Amino acid sequence: MRIEVQKEKCTGCHLCEMVCALFHLQVINPSKSAIRILKDDLNTDTHTPLVCRQCKKMKCLENEGGDETSEVTKFIWNKQRAKDCPFDGLTVFEETAYHCDLCSGEPQCVSVCTSGAITIKTQISRRRKKHEI
Amino acid sequence: MPFQIRFAKIDLTEREVSIEDFPEEILTKYLGGRGMNMYLLAKRFRPRMDSLGPENPLIFGTGFLTGCLNLGSRMNISAISPETGYLGDANMGGDFGAELRYAGLSHLVIVGKSKDPVYLWIRNGDVQIRDARHLWGLDTVETQRAIRRELGEARVQVACIGLAGENMVKFAGIRTGLKSTAARTGLGAVMGSKHLKAVAVRGTEDLHIENPQGLLSYYKELIKGLMERKWIQALGRLGTPLMIALGNTAGFLAVRNHQWTSVGEAGSGLVAENLDRYSTGMVACWSCPVHCRHRLKIRGEKDKEVYEEGPEYASVGSMGWKIGNLDLESILQVVELCNRYGLDAISTGSYIAWVMELYQNGIIDEKTIGFPLEWGDSKSIKRIIHIIAQREGFGDILADGYFARGRLPPEAEQFLLQVKNLPMEMTDERLTKSFALGMATASRGACHMRSRPSLDILRLPSSLLEKLYGGEVDPDFTSYRGKGRMIWWHEILYAVCDSLGVCRFMTVFSSPNAPQYKEFNDLIYLSSGRRISEEDLKTVGERICTLERRMLALWGMDRKQDSLPFRYFEPVPEGPAKGHQIDLAGFNKMLDEYYELHGWDENGRPTQEGVKRLEIPL
Repeated sequence: MRIEVQKEKCTGCHLCEMVCALFHLQVINPSKSAIRILKDDLNTDTHTPLVCRQCKKMKCLENEGGDETSEVTKFIWNKQRAKDCPFDGLTVFEETAYHCDLCSGEPQCVSVCTSGAITIKTQISRRRKKHEI
Repeated sequence: MPFQIRFAKIDLTEREVSIEDFPEEILTKYLGGRGMNMYLLAKRFRPRMDSLGPENPLIFGTGFLTGCLNLGSRMNISAISPETGYLGDANMGGDFGAELRYAGLSHLVIVGKSKDPVYLWIRNGDVQIRDARHLWGLDTVETQRAIRRELGEARVQVACIGLAGENMVKFAGIRTGLKSTAARTGLGAVMGSKHLKAVAVRGTEDLHIENPQGLLSYYKELIKGLMERKWIQALGRLGTPLMIALGNTAGFLAVRNHQWTSVGEAGSGLVAENLDRYSTGMVACWSCPVHCRHRLKIRGEKDKEVYEEGPEYASVGSMGWKIGNLDLESILQVVELCNRYGLDAISTGSYIAWVMELYQNGIIDEKTIGFPLEWGDSKSIKRIIHIIAQREGFGDILADGYFARGRLPPEAEQFLLQVKNLPMEMTDERLTKSFALGMATASRGACHMRSRPSLDILRLPSSLLEKLYGGEVDPDFTSYRGKGRMIWWHEILYAVCDSLGVCRFMTVFSSPNAPQYKEFNDLIYLSSGRRISEEDLKTVGERICTLERRMLALWGMDRKQDSLPFRYFEPVPEGPAKGHQIDLAGFNKMLDEYYELHGWDENGRPTQEGVKRLEIPL
């Protein structure tokens, strides 16, 4: 399971950021959200959601070794890992990186994204799509 | 204490800043946003205050729920208006309000005047006054870019003025982002008079929420229900221009300064669907699930490709049919021009319509203006916007808005259609009587956002209307019966919305079942832990309306100023609304009903008893 982004649909409402912090940290603080909206609001006005892609091969943890399966369920990460992510998929604020733990299977951000810019992609549906093609 | 609301007092003359908390008692009386702004304005209110003098307080106020999981995240900016000389207040969307909240502040009260141009830099409760000499002269988008570059933070939000505000054009607005503007009543000129180019803000503080899990579950259900509504879906797909086709078919557009009320077939190019040609997607204000604005790619000045947001129904009308311009591309370009200069597109269109009619009637000529000013001539429209913003030649006269009449032939004044010195807008309200009453009674002058019951055009069943409004209301929008009640009810609801930061479009505006007091109460309780009854919340709305009314009364205004321009009492000459006009007896009946429900006297002045009951601080 992962969050799929279609940036052209993103309206820049920032509800995803707000609910992410609220769910995990019980406060509203867009700076402490695992999903973040990169804004180009004074130029093309396009907004790009950036979030962990749940890569199978986790470049972010490559230098550490250890158990990856327990790390993927954690929200608070070491900020060093953000540098190792090739997709800029982690939010860094002050000394912490915020990592998308998929909210134990029910991503909060997806449930408030009314434009459909972020959706849940399960491996089953990915396979199905392949099959259809 | 969680859910803090505090304000910064900034004196630009003394270069002093202090930060204070609002007492709990004041919070529950006014909440935030417009309500709190009115309280702060009333504390400094003097009827003879010079709107462009250092003592006029420029007040920025975010809604009580702005920055929370809210239905929008709006804010109000208020002061004494340079455009009207009376109450100045404008509501603004975008991201600025939420950012201010995350910086730990909800309100700013800015007084004094700086010697040199400055801007404010607010970061997590720290307020700095910084040099802005290098920014003076930049347009509103360049200013925002320059400040972000200078501060090195992409997420900085900036509210600023353009050339119009710097030159104290009396209908200059305050802008943030590509489109959001606190536009009406000329608050950009107040900012210009203080030599304040911009306010920049960045906030990374936690906003504490009383019941995080409860709020999360409630909010998800709330927006799910909202997004299932057809009106909301249409708004999210087409934006507010969706109203254009109906306005044209029914006949409530202010065509060529209200000479007609429909453009018939000629208006087919302006329908909302045609914006798809320019749209590259939809954009939302902070915390809004609806996303009612287009992201547009257009050809701007010097044929350069530029991105814009919007446009609103109001801007299309003001730069469109109101001035005889039915070319969508030209409308988008001139709206962009107004945005860059930081002009209120509604007032700008209305003043241009005024001088176009003067030109049409030979009251002023090409020699006075400097060029011919025919209806719908897009080149002349651009030209006149340039000279207004730059205060050049005839533009310097027109830049004074209502007050320009003193520098024009005496017969010019009657063609400036206005209420309380604020010009009429892009719609003509002769057909829809409730709308007409709203325009006549709005506290900031002719304005549809104070009370417009958009759902009046839906002809809803009388039983439903009676239940909603608590009294009899005629479903026919051309009837006067019960329309005083309708306007009273919406005016109070919208005052509450403005105090919470809720957008009109997500409350009872065009849909009778949209969220209102109950849902607002739930959001207040889950977010802040404050339990306010529905009745108390209505009282907050009443208090705000009566406080604004009290200020108007201290300016010597009463029933006489709750009127409409002469054209409203004449029949529409042709088109779908042909023959419709405002009947004085019917109008007076609505006015009586409206005053009575507000508890004001027959002249529309708050009574001693009402002032006491609502604890009005004036």
